[in-house]
Amino acid sequence: MLFQGLVGLSEAMYLWLVAAGLSLIFGVMRVLNFAHGSLYMLGAYFAWVAFRISGSFWVALVVGPLLVAAAGWVLEFGFLRLILDDAVKLAFGPVYQSPPTPAALSGAVRIGRSILPTYHLFILAVGGLVGLGLWFLLEKTSFGLIVRATAADREMARALGVRSSRLFTGVFVLGAWLAGLGGALSMPVRAISPGMGEFIIIEAFVVVVLGGLGSLRGAFLGAVLIGLLHAYGLLFMPVFELALAYMAMAAVLIVRPWGLFGVREA
Amino acid sequence: MAPRRGTTRRRFLQTSALAVAGLGLPRAVAAAALDLKLKKPIKIGCQSILSGPLGGYGEFMRKGAALAMDEINAQGGIGGSPIELNFRDEELKVDVGVKNARYFVEDWGADFLIGIDSSAVALAVGEIMPSLNRVLIVTHGATEKFNEDLVFKRHVRQCFRVCVPVYQDGIASALVAKDLPVKRWATISPDYEYGHTSWKMFRAYLKRFKPDVEFVGESFAKFGTVDFSSHISKVMGLNPEGIFSTEWGGEAVTMVKQAKLFKVFEQTKAFMIGMGSAMDVLQGLGADYPDGVWASGRYYFGYPDSPENKRFNDAFKKRWNTYPSYPSETAYTALFALKKAVEKARSIETEKVIAALEGLELDRPAGKCVIRKEDHQAVYAVPWGQIKHDAKFPMPTLANLKVFPTDEYYRKPPFAPVEG
Repeated sequence: MLFQGLVGLSEAMYLWLVAAGLSLIFGVMRVLNFAHGSLYMLGAYFAWVAFRISGSFWVALVVGPLLVAAAGWVLEFGFLRLILDDAVKLAFGPVYQSPPTPAALSGAVRIGRSILPTYHLFILAVGGLVGLGLWFLLEKTSFGLIVRATAADREMARALGVRSSRLFTGVFVLGAWLAGLGGALSMPVRAISPGMGEFIIIEAFVVVVLGGLGSLRGAFLGAVLIGLLHAYGLLFMPVFELALAYMAMAAVLIVRPWGLFGVREA
Repeated sequence: MAPRRGTTRRRFLQTSALAVAGLGLPRAVAAAALDLKLKKPIKIGCQSILSGPLGGYGEFMRKGAALAMDEINAQGGIGGSPIELNFRDEELKVDVGVKNARYFVEDWGADFLIGIDSSAVALAVGEIMPSLNRVLIVTHGATEKFNEDLVFKRHVRQCFRVCVPVYQDGIASALVAKDLPVKRWATISPDYEYGHTSWKMFRAYLKRFKPDVEFVGESFAKFGTVDFSSHISKVMGLNPEGIFSTEWGGEAVTMVKQAKLFKVFEQTKAFMIGMGSAMDVLQGLGADYPDGVWASGRYYFGYPDSPENKRFNDAFKKRWNTYPSYPSETAYTALFALKKAVEKARSIETEKVIAALEGLELDRPAGKCVIRKEDHQAVYAVPWGQIKHDAKFPMPTLANLKVFPTDEYYRKPPFAPVEG
């Protein structure tokens, strides 16, 4: 019972990473980045390439998302957009790739009568750490101050001397890195294929709308909520499982059209 | 857009290739004896899943069809006309599949239709075939409702199928399972027609073969599932001894990898995947595919040991530098079935081709096969086997092959309801 929730939470962490970047970019730039699912896919592919070259999952985990961040930087300038899936198909072919799970993380721990993979614990830890890191970045650094100021009032921030174009690039690159990290983490446990971003992006949109556009806290809680609804939905209402996320989103939007933690538009 | 006038570059290339091939191939001369004088290429509209996480799957169908086209055109085409293929992505969506079929026939001028991966799409396109009045040969969509209801009970005669239906996934699997030391079965399967109907058949037939089995639970995963963790933990919570699954393509790859993380293969005595021997899954999982998993498909490249199969494998590898997957074989067979039927009917008229296809016997790569007159279903045997890592091959292969006589597992007219 509790165990099912834990598994749901670990699935939610991928969603959180993708949704965090999506929400961050929206908060500052006021654009819904439709290429975000493709960045997640790129994260998996770049990590896979890095893995094939280095033979190390850890190198891949660092290098993959950094490359996606670099791609994000290029994307922000308007190149490449929307052709990523086709480019990946051309470069890597339509065949599924699935490098092995790193030995250090392919064990499992016993919880009661159930078995939880070490990899899932790892994902939970990474998701939590990224959450803490983002909180620190936004609340405790001058970069975060500027981000928050711009998100709150763009005109005012600009009037006060914030160079928005550089900020936008920085935020976009960070958002791309987060999606790339999600993709890189999925590399050894999910089949990698062109178009793998299509499905995660739909859920990430639900998460971001549910949590409130531009709110990282909202994205985190939204992802957790969707993950739990999915895991427990399968257990108790398998027929409606698919609808639960949308029902939750609709319910929240009726009461709070700006989402759980979003800011009401003036 | 297909150019309408004069000799286009493509037509020129096709005809010159034909001419060149004709010089070296006595068979082409023999085939050229039959000339239907159509004065146009025979157009065949093909659809399969070509995008998204299952897109790697449709790519194999395209490769098989393209190989057949090359070979048929090198032999002088069908009845003297070269064939021309047009591929569209079916996206596994009913509306897209229907739109593709209409486009092929009404706008592009298709003479025949082949392909379709989704059962639901196969049924929906099947429904409109009388109004389009073309022969449709399904190469993958496997629901029994296609041959049993649409063709046999409702006489939609334009519909044919050259791949084994869910009898392979739901009944041949039960013939394997009855001899396994497993009493408690559970499933993780796709949450649509194919997944539900296979599990229903598996339960009904296994119960008949081995009355003391139990079915302890099920978890159905929607199309586009990227993580199977909560499905696995749900099902493992029910303490099954065996898992039956009809996940396929990239979703089967993800499911197996994650089941491995959850130590499912250590905790259960058997794991069966109906489409687990498809080449995209074998290649996608590679070294990660656990030994001993029971897998099948709608054709397996290593069976049968026949000259036709060897020739097909060699030609496919030469053309595409990979082993063929089952949709490659079924698409290849669909085109050769059309060739044989048209040349037998000496016409491309739908009604005459239907009559020629009924009862048609084929020596296909998958073995000897006959297209049943009653339900337009191709009948041939496909093995189940256990995953094994053999250094001779670049991907896992099947060992311990179990091949059952088709009589034992192909349901027959009048198709009694599946109980259970």
